[in-house]
Amino acid sequence: MRTTLDVHESFKIAISAISANKARGALTSLGIIIGIVAVITTMTAFNGMQSAFRQGAGAMGADVIYVSRMPWITMNDWFTFRNRPNLNLAEAEKLKNAFEGRAIVNPTIDTRRDLKYRSEILEGVTIIGTTEKLPIVTNRMPEYGRFLMPFDMQYKKKVAIIGYDVAEGLFGSADPLNKVINIGRQKFTVAGAMERQGGNTFGGPNLDRQVFIPVSTFVKVFGGRRFTDVDIAVKAPSLAGMEDLEYEVIGEMRKIRKLKPKEDDNFSINKLDSLMGAFNSVVGVVLAIGLLVTSIALFVGGIGVMNIMFVSVTERTREIGIRKAIGARRRSILMQFLFESAVICLIGGVVGIAIATALTFVINATLMPASISAGILVAALIISITVGVVAGFVPAYKGSSLDPIEALRYE
Amino acid sequence: MTETAKQEVTLALRNVVKTYVMGAEEVHALSGVTLDIAKNEYVAIMGPSGSGKSTLMNIIGCLDVPTGGNYFLAGERVDEKSESELAEIRNRMIGFVFQTFNLIPRANILHNVELPLIYGGVPKAARRVLAKRAIEQVGLQDRMLHKPNELSGGQRQRVAIARALVFKPSIILADEPTGNLDSRTGEEIMRMLDDLHANGQTIILVTHENYIAAHASRSIRLRDGLIESDIAAAAQPIDPGQAVRTMEMKSTGTI
Repeated sequence: MRTTLDVHESFKIAISAISANKARGALTSLGIIIGIVAVITTMTAFNGMQSAFRQGAGAMGADVIYVSRMPWITMNDWFTFRNRPNLNLAEAEKLKNAFEGRAIVNPTIDTRRDLKYRSEILEGVTIIGTTEKLPIVTNRMPEYGRFLMPFDMQYKKKVAIIGYDVAEGLFGSADPLNKVINIGRQKFTVAGAMERQGGNTFGGPNLDRQVFIPVSTFVKVFGGRRFTDVDIAVKAPSLAGMEDLEYEVIGEMRKIRKLKPKEDDNFSINKLDSLMGAFNSVVGVVLAIGLLVTSIALFVGGIGVMNIMFVSVTERTREIGIRKAIGARRRSILMQFLFESAVICLIGGVVGIAIATALTFVINATLMPASISAGILVAALIISITVGVVAGFVPAYKGSSLDPIEALRYE
Repeated sequence: MTETAKQEVTLALRNVVKTYVMGAEEVHALSGVTLDIAKNEYVAIMGPSGSGKSTLMNIIGCLDVPTGGNYFLAGERVDEKSESELAEIRNRMIGFVFQTFNLIPRANILHNVELPLIYGGVPKAARRVLAKRAIEQVGLQDRMLHKPNELSGGQRQRVAIARALVFKPSIILADEPTGNLDSRTGEEIMRMLDDLHANGQTIILVTHENYIAAHASRSIRLRDGLIESDIAAAAQPIDPGQAVRTMEMKSTGTI
């Protein structure tokens, strides 16, 4: 009974003390507001980067193994892979035959060309030669028209499926289907347009600025064997079988390339997993730095609170003496002031949350997908209260330890 | 010595010593005070500056602890108690009335009077009843929601008295209760204390004014940390007119 009464009373005293000097309270909580905004923004930015990455990388599929010449992530060891032979379509075909009926194998090959339609020009668009299996591997479907079909491959037809940004850039709001565009110096007919992908941040490919043509046409039109560097995607029938599939693919490739048992692989297996891992470690560092900086901001804010609490205690020295004389225990005085600093910081936290939410909307609309989760809000509130209690503790303790006789004499 | 054999002893000091260190010197505020105060006594503690009367008051009021000797309050040894226990005693058994009123400035009258009850863990409904009763007892029921700065000095002291009474304490300790009041208001306050005494309250007055001490029925005089005299006045009605005339004569230099 006694404790709950103290809590209620302490809370009321805190509110009355803060409202007695609103300007001071506002200035004090400013430091906390800044700190909280920084903390929340850092966390939402981190979340945003992760989901942006996932969106962009999601097209690669978690259940897909990519066979490429080079590993996706290379650091200073890049040159050790230079001597590897390119993958070519013949090898892709062999791999496909080896996995016939068990897994989907899809080769892709790419280059860059300028696109032209009437007077519109788009420079440096990625042209990807692939097969009708691509949508199955990447889960990306055309919005209008159709994707590639086997007969496109068979007859080396000059048809193209264009990405969202390409459609918008060349045709605006007009219907792109069956129009003839120039890819480089070649004329292609548009057979389909992809739905919008988005998520094109952090150096990932702009998935909307791509054009898909049959792989056979690609080889015929854009160049032969010298420049081919094929990526082969192998889609597992299920996530569970990924590991086994990986071993099998490596085995098959070694066979195809006639590698001796002692020789290393002269190709790389890339998965979404490893990419996520590398990404996470980079972003992890960024997050750590961000949190360090925001901790400093909160620390400074906390010092401001501590300072003001010392002033508050000194101002109310006489009052502390009176309360003790009529029976307040140390604990009550301590709680009274701890509540005051906690409430100031909580108010700062709430205001900080409001500002950070607005900021997040702005970031989401302009830079990258960002959102505040309930978890982040709760964390921010807990952080503000903690800063309040920690910062206010020393002054509150000093106040509670005052000798009532001395305190009553204080002018 | 007062005859306390038939009466219950509320408060007993046995050879109480209080020494404290100021810089390099030891100050002996009290050098061995022994006294008994019974229930419903009306005692005045008097003495010049430095006599130790403030120290004695602080010790009786459990705001301070003796360096030596024993202090019994309602039969219990108080000098050995912890800070928390002393706070509880101050809360329930002692009602302070200060010279400078010492009300909480930002709270209204009702809240000020309720405060001891709040610290004593009394639930809200009961608190309200007790506080209102105490406020009515001092005649300020019309001003319950006012703040101290909206009241006159005399009214503030009445609030302080209501606060001192609210938990039905064993003793009321009044330290120069009229020191900050004009003579007329001072008389009102003293009358109020007299009434409380008449209704059974034990009152200890600390003062250096003879005419205030005259309201009490017993006068303990301190000098240099020791009791110089302890005289029970014969029970006689106080003539307020006499006190005022004494004051006037003092101020005009007639006395």
